[in-house]
Amino acid sequence: MAKKGKKEVPAMSTSSLPDIVFMLLFFFMAATTMRDTDPLVNVNMPEAREITELDKKGLVNIWIGQPLQRGEGDALKIQLNDQICEVSDIQDLVHDSSAKKGMALSQMLINLRVDKTATVGKLTDVKQELRRAEAYSISYAAKTRVH
Amino acid sequence: MAKAKRKAGEINSSSMADIAFLLLIFFLVTTTMDVDSGMKRTLPPIADNEQQQQDVELKQRNVLMVNVSKEGRIMVGAEEYMPADLNRRGDHSRMSREVLDFLVGADRSEKKAAEVEPGISCDISQGVVSLKADNETKYNIYLQVQDELTHAFNVYRDMVSVQAYGKQFNDLNEIQAGNIRKAVPVKISEAEPHDQTR
Repeated sequence: MAKKGKKEVPAMSTSSLPDIVFMLLFFFMAATTMRDTDPLVNVNMPEAREITELDKKGLVNIWIGQPLQRGEGDALKIQLNDQICEVSDIQDLVHDSSAKKGMALSQMLINLRVDKTATVGKLTDVKQELRRAEAYSISYAAKTRVH
Repeated sequence: MAKAKRKAGEINSSSMADIAFLLLIFFLVTTTMDVDSGMKRTLPPIADNEQQQQDVELKQRNVLMVNVSKEGRIMVGAEEYMPADLNRRGDHSRMSREVLDFLVGADRSEKKAAEVEPGISCDISQGVVSLKADNETKYNIYLQVQDELTHAFNVYRDMVSVQAYGKQFNDLNEIQAGNIRKAVPVKISEAEPHDQTR
Protein backbone atom coordinates (compact mmCIF):
# COMPACT_ATOMS: atom_id res chain seq x y z
CA MET A 1 0.00 0.00 0.00
CA ALA A 2 2.95 2.26 -0.13
CA LYS A 3 2.04 3.20 -3.67
CA LYS A 4 -1.18 4.92 -2.60
CA GLY A 5 0.71 7.95 -1.40
CA LYS A 6 -0.23 11.42 -2.68
CA LYS A 7 1.04 11.96 -6.20
CA GLU A 8 1.15 15.37 -7.86
CA VAL A 9 -0.86 15.62 -11.06
CA PRO A 10 1.40 16.82 -13.87
CA ALA A 11 0.35 20.10 -15.55
CA MET A 12 -1.73 19.63 -18.69
CA SER A 13 0.29 20.19 -21.78
CA THR A 14 -0.97 23.21 -23.73
CA SER A 15 1.45 22.86 -26.58
CA SER A 16 -1.28 21.72 -28.98
CA LEU A 17 -3.61 24.59 -28.13
CA PRO A 18 -2.26 26.86 -30.87
CA ASP A 19 -2.77 24.08 -33.39
CA ILE A 20 -6.37 23.67 -32.37
CA VAL A 21 -7.06 27.39 -32.48
CA PHE A 22 -5.37 27.75 -35.84
CA MET A 23 -7.51 24.97 -37.17
CA LEU A 24 -10.62 26.81 -36.01
CA LEU A 25 -9.28 29.99 -37.51
CA PHE A 26 -8.75 28.41 -40.91
CA PHE A 27 -12.20 26.89 -40.78
CA PHE A 28 -13.79 30.29 -40.20
CA MET A 29 -11.64 31.94 -42.84
CA ALA A 30 -12.77 29.41 -45.39
CA ALA A 31 -16.41 29.15 -44.40
CA THR A 32 -17.31 32.81 -44.02
CA THR A 33 -17.20 35.89 -46.14
CA MET A 34 -16.33 39.45 -45.26
CA ARG A 35 -19.19 41.66 -44.27
CA ASP A 36 -19.10 44.38 -46.86
CA THR A 37 -21.93 46.70 -45.96
CA ASP A 38 -23.47 47.57 -42.65
CA PRO A 39 -27.21 47.37 -42.74
CA LEU A 40 -28.96 50.64 -42.01
CA VAL A 41 -32.44 49.21 -42.31
CA ASN A 42 -33.99 46.22 -40.65
CA VAL A 43 -35.39 43.72 -43.12
CA ASN A 44 -37.60 40.86 -42.06
CA MET A 45 -37.41 38.74 -45.16
CA PRO A 46 -40.27 36.49 -46.25
CA GLU A 47 -39.82 32.76 -46.50
CA ALA A 48 -39.87 30.77 -49.71
CA ARG A 49 -38.97 27.32 -50.95
CA GLU A 50 -37.95 27.69 -54.56
CA ILE A 51 -34.84 29.73 -53.97
CA THR A 52 -31.33 29.23 -55.23
CA GLU A 53 -27.97 30.20 -53.85
CA LEU A 54 -26.64 33.40 -55.34
CA ASP A 55 -23.12 33.98 -56.48
CA LYS A 56 -21.46 36.62 -54.30
CA LYS A 57 -19.52 37.96 -57.23
CA GLY A 58 -21.36 40.77 -58.91
CA LEU A 59 -24.06 40.84 -56.29
CA VAL A 60 -25.49 44.21 -55.37
CA ASN A 61 -27.92 44.40 -52.49
CA ILE A 62 -30.86 46.73 -52.27
CA TRP A 63 -32.61 46.72 -48.93
CA ILE A 64 -36.13 47.96 -48.32
CA GLY A 65 -37.03 48.05 -44.66
CA GLN A 66 -37.49 49.97 -41.45
CA PRO A 67 -34.63 52.38 -40.74
CA LEU A 68 -32.63 51.29 -37.72
CA GLN A 69 -31.84 54.79 -36.66
CA ARG A 70 -34.48 56.48 -34.53
CA GLY A 71 -36.06 59.66 -35.76
CA GLU A 72 -36.14 58.55 -39.37
CA GLY A 73 -39.85 57.85 -39.19
CA ASP A 74 -41.74 54.64 -39.63
CA ALA A 75 -41.82 54.68 -43.40
CA LEU A 76 -39.82 51.97 -45.16
CA LYS A 77 -36.56 53.21 -46.59
CA ILE A 78 -34.33 52.00 -49.39
CA GLN A 79 -30.68 51.27 -48.72
CA LEU A 80 -28.08 50.78 -51.42
CA ASN A 81 -24.30 50.74 -50.87
CA ASP A 82 -24.09 51.87 -47.26
CA GLN A 83 -26.51 54.72 -47.64
CA ILE A 84 -30.20 55.36 -47.43
CA CYS A 85 -31.46 56.67 -50.71
CA GLU A 86 -34.53 57.66 -52.65
CA VAL A 87 -35.98 55.77 -55.58
CA SER A 88 -34.62 58.40 -57.96
CA ASP A 89 -31.02 57.81 -56.77
CA ILE A 90 -31.05 54.13 -57.64
CA GLN A 91 -29.97 54.53 -61.27
CA ASP A 92 -26.83 56.47 -60.34
CA LEU A 93 -25.94 54.22 -57.41
CA VAL A 94 -26.32 51.05 -59.44
CA HIS A 95 -24.06 52.47 -62.12
CA ASP A 96 -21.58 53.50 -59.41
CA SER A 97 -21.33 50.05 -57.96
CA SER A 98 -20.93 48.47 -61.39
CA ALA A 99 -18.06 50.86 -62.06
CA LYS A 100 -16.55 50.12 -58.66
CA LYS A 101 -16.66 46.39 -59.23
CA GLY A 102 -15.44 46.78 -62.78
CA MET A 103 -18.27 44.67 -64.11
CA ALA A 104 -20.84 45.40 -66.75
CA LEU A 105 -24.36 45.87 -65.46
CA SER A 106 -25.50 42.89 -67.47
CA GLN A 107 -23.20 40.62 -65.45
CA MET A 108 -24.41 41.86 -62.11
CA LEU A 109 -27.26 40.57 -60.08
CA ILE A 110 -29.35 42.98 -58.07
CA ASN A 111 -30.53 41.26 -54.94
CA LEU A 112 -33.71 42.80 -53.58
CA ARG A 113 -33.94 42.29 -49.85
CA VAL A 114 -37.43 43.49 -49.19
CA ASP A 115 -39.29 43.46 -45.91
CA LYS A 116 -42.39 41.29 -45.59
CA THR A 117 -44.53 44.29 -44.84
CA ALA A 118 -43.45 46.36 -47.82
CA THR A 119 -45.99 46.93 -50.54
CA VAL A 120 -45.70 45.70 -54.10
CA GLY A 121 -46.02 49.33 -55.23
CA LYS A 122 -42.73 50.24 -53.56
CA LEU A 123 -41.07 47.21 -55.12
CA THR A 124 -42.45 48.10 -58.53
CA ASP A 125 -40.99 51.61 -58.25
CA VAL A 126 -37.57 50.14 -57.56
CA LYS A 127 -37.90 47.61 -60.38
CA GLN A 128 -38.92 50.32 -62.84
CA GLU A 129 -35.88 52.32 -61.83
CA LEU A 130 -33.65 49.27 -62.36
CA ARG A 131 -35.14 48.73 -65.78
CA ARG A 132 -34.34 52.34 -66.62
CA ALA A 133 -30.78 51.74 -65.40
CA GLU A 134 -30.70 48.69 -67.68
CA ALA A 135 -29.97 46.35 -64.79
CA TYR A 136 -32.25 43.50 -65.73
CA SER A 137 -31.00 40.63 -63.59
CA ILE A 138 -32.64 40.70 -60.22
CA SER A 139 -33.44 38.29 -57.47
CA TYR A 140 -35.96 38.36 -54.67
CA ALA A 141 -34.11 37.49 -51.48
CA ALA A 142 -35.89 35.13 -49.13
CA LYS A 143 -35.21 32.89 -46.22
CA THR A 144 -35.45 29.18 -46.71
CA ARG A 145 -38.78 27.82 -45.59
CA VAL A 146 -38.13 24.84 -43.40
CA HIS A 147 -41.52 23.20 -43.27
CA MET B 1 36.80 35.57 -27.14
CA ALA B 2 33.22 35.60 -26.06
CA LYS B 3 32.16 34.84 -29.63
CA ALA B 4 31.99 31.16 -28.95
CA LYS B 5 29.11 29.30 -30.56
CA ARG B 6 26.08 29.46 -28.37
CA LYS B 7 23.00 27.35 -28.83
CA ALA B 8 20.09 29.57 -29.85
CA GLY B 9 17.44 29.52 -27.16
CA GLU B 10 14.08 28.10 -28.19
CA ILE B 11 11.39 30.66 -28.87
CA ASN B 12 8.79 30.66 -26.19
CA SER B 13 5.63 29.61 -27.94
CA SER B 14 3.23 30.02 -25.07
CA SER B 15 1.78 33.22 -26.55
CA MET B 16 1.11 31.54 -29.88
CA ALA B 17 -2.29 30.46 -28.63
CA ASP B 18 -3.15 34.02 -27.62
CA ILE B 19 -2.21 35.34 -31.04
CA ALA B 20 -4.25 32.67 -32.75
CA PHE B 21 -7.23 33.37 -30.52
CA LEU B 22 -7.00 37.05 -31.32
CA LEU B 23 -7.04 36.34 -35.05
CA LEU B 24 -9.89 33.92 -34.61
CA ILE B 25 -12.00 36.46 -32.76
CA PHE B 26 -11.22 39.10 -35.37
CA PHE B 27 -12.51 36.82 -38.14
CA LEU B 28 -15.55 35.85 -36.14
CA VAL B 29 -16.53 39.48 -35.78
CA THR B 30 -15.83 40.77 -39.26
CA THR B 31 -17.27 37.98 -41.35
CA THR B 32 -20.70 36.59 -41.90
CA MET B 33 -21.73 33.08 -42.55
CA ASP B 34 -25.08 33.60 -44.24
CA VAL B 35 -25.36 32.65 -47.87
CA ASP B 36 -27.41 34.90 -50.06
CA SER B 37 -30.28 33.04 -51.56
CA GLY B 38 -33.14 34.25 -53.65
CA MET B 39 -35.45 33.79 -56.58
CA LYS B 40 -33.84 34.94 -59.80
CA ARG B 41 -35.81 36.93 -62.34
CA THR B 42 -35.01 38.88 -65.45
CA LEU B 43 -36.75 42.18 -65.97
CA PRO B 44 -37.90 43.08 -69.45
CA PRO B 45 -36.31 46.10 -71.09
CA ILE B 46 -38.42 49.21 -71.04
CA ALA B 47 -40.56 49.26 -74.14
CA ASP B 48 -40.73 52.47 -76.09
CA ASN B 49 -44.08 53.70 -77.28
CA GLU B 50 -43.83 52.16 -80.72
CA GLN B 51 -43.10 48.76 -79.30
CA GLN B 52 -45.89 49.04 -76.84
CA GLN B 53 -48.33 49.55 -79.70
CA GLN B 54 -47.41 46.29 -81.34
CA ASP B 55 -47.25 44.45 -78.06
CA VAL B 56 -46.68 40.77 -78.46
CA GLU B 57 -50.10 39.29 -78.93
CA LEU B 58 -50.30 36.01 -77.15
CA LYS B 59 -53.03 33.57 -77.77
CA GLN B 60 -55.65 33.64 -75.08
CA ARG B 61 -55.21 29.99 -74.22
CA ASN B 62 -51.49 30.46 -73.67
CA VAL B 63 -51.87 33.07 -70.95
CA LEU B 64 -52.76 32.32 -67.38
CA MET B 65 -53.71 35.44 -65.51
CA VAL B 66 -52.76 35.56 -61.85
CA ASN B 67 -54.16 38.51 -59.94
CA VAL B 68 -53.35 39.33 -56.35
CA SER B 69 -55.68 41.82 -54.69
CA LYS B 70 -54.61 44.10 -51.89
CA GLU B 71 -56.48 41.95 -49.37
CA GLY B 72 -54.41 38.99 -50.50
CA ARG B 73 -57.06 37.20 -52.53
CA ILE B 74 -55.47 35.39 -55.41
CA MET B 75 -57.18 34.74 -58.70
CA VAL B 76 -55.61 32.11 -60.91
CA GLY B 77 -57.57 32.08 -64.13
CA ALA B 78 -61.10 31.75 -62.85
CA GLU B 79 -60.25 30.07 -59.57
CA GLU B 80 -59.90 31.93 -56.33
CA TYR B 81 -57.39 31.14 -53.60
CA MET B 82 -56.67 32.58 -50.19
CA PRO B 83 -53.20 33.12 -48.72
CA ALA B 84 -53.89 30.14 -46.47
CA ASP B 85 -53.90 27.92 -49.57
CA LEU B 86 -50.27 28.77 -50.26
CA ASN B 87 -47.30 26.79 -49.11
CA ARG B 88 -49.19 23.98 -47.50
CA ARG B 89 -47.22 21.07 -46.27
CA GLY B 90 -46.50 18.51 -48.93
CA ASP B 91 -45.23 18.92 -52.42
CA HIS B 92 -48.01 20.68 -54.18
CA SER B 93 -50.38 23.28 -53.01
CA ARG B 94 -53.69 23.50 -54.84
CA MET B 95 -52.51 26.62 -56.58
CA SER B 96 -49.29 25.33 -58.05
CA ARG B 97 -51.20 22.23 -59.17
CA GLU B 98 -53.54 24.48 -61.08
CA VAL B 99 -50.59 26.27 -62.72
CA LEU B 100 -48.96 22.95 -63.55
CA ASP B 101 -52.21 21.76 -65.05
CA PHE B 102 -52.22 24.87 -67.22
CA LEU B 103 -48.72 23.99 -68.48
CA VAL B 104 -49.26 20.26 -68.91
CA GLY B 105 -52.97 19.82 -69.60
CA ALA B 106 -53.72 18.70 -73.15
CA ASP B 107 -56.57 21.15 -73.60
CA ARG B 108 -54.86 24.03 -71.83
CA SER B 109 -51.77 25.80 -73.15
CA GLU B 110 -50.41 25.10 -76.59
CA LYS B 111 -47.50 22.64 -76.91
CA LYS B 112 -44.78 22.98 -79.48
CA ALA B 113 -42.05 20.50 -80.25
CA ALA B 114 -38.67 21.97 -79.40
CA GLU B 115 -35.20 20.52 -79.54
CA VAL B 116 -33.71 20.21 -76.08
CA GLU B 117 -30.49 19.16 -77.73
CA PRO B 118 -29.84 17.90 -81.25
CA GLY B 119 -31.66 14.61 -81.55
CA ILE B 120 -33.86 14.99 -78.50
CA SER B 121 -37.04 16.92 -78.92
CA CYS B 122 -39.90 17.41 -76.51
CA ASP B 123 -43.27 19.05 -76.56
CA ILE B 124 -42.90 22.25 -74.58
CA SER B 125 -45.79 24.30 -73.35
CA GLN B 126 -46.05 27.80 -74.77
CA GLY B 127 -47.84 28.95 -71.64
CA VAL B 128 -47.05 32.26 -69.98
CA VAL B 129 -48.12 33.18 -66.48
CA SER B 130 -48.99 36.82 -66.19
CA LEU B 131 -48.73 38.02 -62.62
CA LYS B 132 -50.49 41.19 -61.59
CA ALA B 133 -50.60 42.56 -58.09
CA ASP B 134 -52.22 45.60 -56.59
CA ASN B 135 -49.84 48.32 -55.45
CA GLU B 136 -51.11 47.86 -51.89
CA THR B 137 -50.48 44.11 -51.84
CA LYS B 138 -48.07 43.02 -49.16
CA TYR B 139 -44.74 41.81 -50.46
CA ASN B 140 -44.98 38.70 -48.30
CA ILE B 141 -48.02 37.41 -50.19
CA TYR B 142 -46.55 38.50 -53.52
CA LEU B 143 -43.44 36.43 -52.89
CA GLN B 144 -45.46 33.43 -51.71
CA VAL B 145 -47.34 33.55 -55.00
CA GLN B 146 -44.06 33.83 -56.90
CA ASP B 147 -42.84 30.84 -54.92
CA GLU B 148 -45.85 28.76 -55.93
CA LEU B 149 -45.52 29.75 -59.57
CA THR B 150 -41.82 28.92 -59.58
CA HIS B 151 -42.63 25.61 -57.97
CA ALA B 152 -45.01 24.76 -60.79
CA PHE B 153 -42.36 25.62 -63.38
CA ASN B 154 -39.74 23.60 -61.52
CA VAL B 155 -42.02 20.57 -61.45
CA TYR B 156 -42.63 21.06 -65.15
CA ARG B 157 -38.87 21.20 -65.75
CA ASP B 158 -38.54 17.95 -63.88
CA MET B 159 -41.14 16.37 -66.12
CA VAL B 160 -39.38 17.56 -69.28
CA SER B 161 -36.02 16.36 -67.92
CA VAL B 162 -37.43 12.92 -67.30
CA GLN B 163 -38.88 12.90 -70.80
CA ALA B 164 -35.63 14.04 -72.43
CA TYR B 165 -32.95 12.40 -70.30
CA GLY B 166 -34.81 10.01 -68.03
CA LYS B 167 -33.56 11.84 -64.96
CA GLN B 168 -34.84 14.49 -62.57
CA PHE B 169 -33.65 18.03 -63.24
CA ASN B 170 -31.42 18.06 -60.16
CA ASP B 171 -29.60 14.92 -61.29
CA LEU B 172 -28.67 16.31 -64.69
CA ASN B 173 -25.16 17.42 -65.48
CA GLU B 174 -24.28 21.05 -66.12
CA ILE B 175 -24.83 20.96 -69.89
CA GLN B 176 -28.09 19.04 -69.74
CA ALA B 177 -29.43 21.35 -67.04
CA GLY B 178 -28.51 24.31 -69.21
CA ASN B 179 -30.37 22.77 -72.15
CA ILE B 180 -33.46 22.20 -70.08
CA ARG B 181 -33.27 25.69 -68.65
CA LYS B 182 -33.16 27.08 -72.15
CA ALA B 183 -35.97 24.84 -73.40
CA VAL B 184 -38.24 25.49 -70.42
CA PRO B 185 -37.79 29.09 -69.34
CA VAL B 186 -39.65 30.27 -66.28
CA LYS B 187 -42.22 32.33 -68.10
CA ILE B 188 -43.63 34.53 -65.40
CA SER B 189 -44.41 37.94 -66.71
CA GLU B 190 -44.66 40.66 -64.12
CA ALA B 191 -47.19 43.07 -65.46
CA GLU B 192 -46.26 46.52 -66.60
CA PRO B 193 -47.31 48.93 -63.85
CA HIS B 194 -50.17 51.17 -64.79
CA ASP B 195 -51.66 54.18 -63.18
CA GLN B 196 -54.39 52.81 -61.00
CA THR B 197 -55.95 56.15 -60.25
CA ARG B 198 -57.18 56.38 -63.80
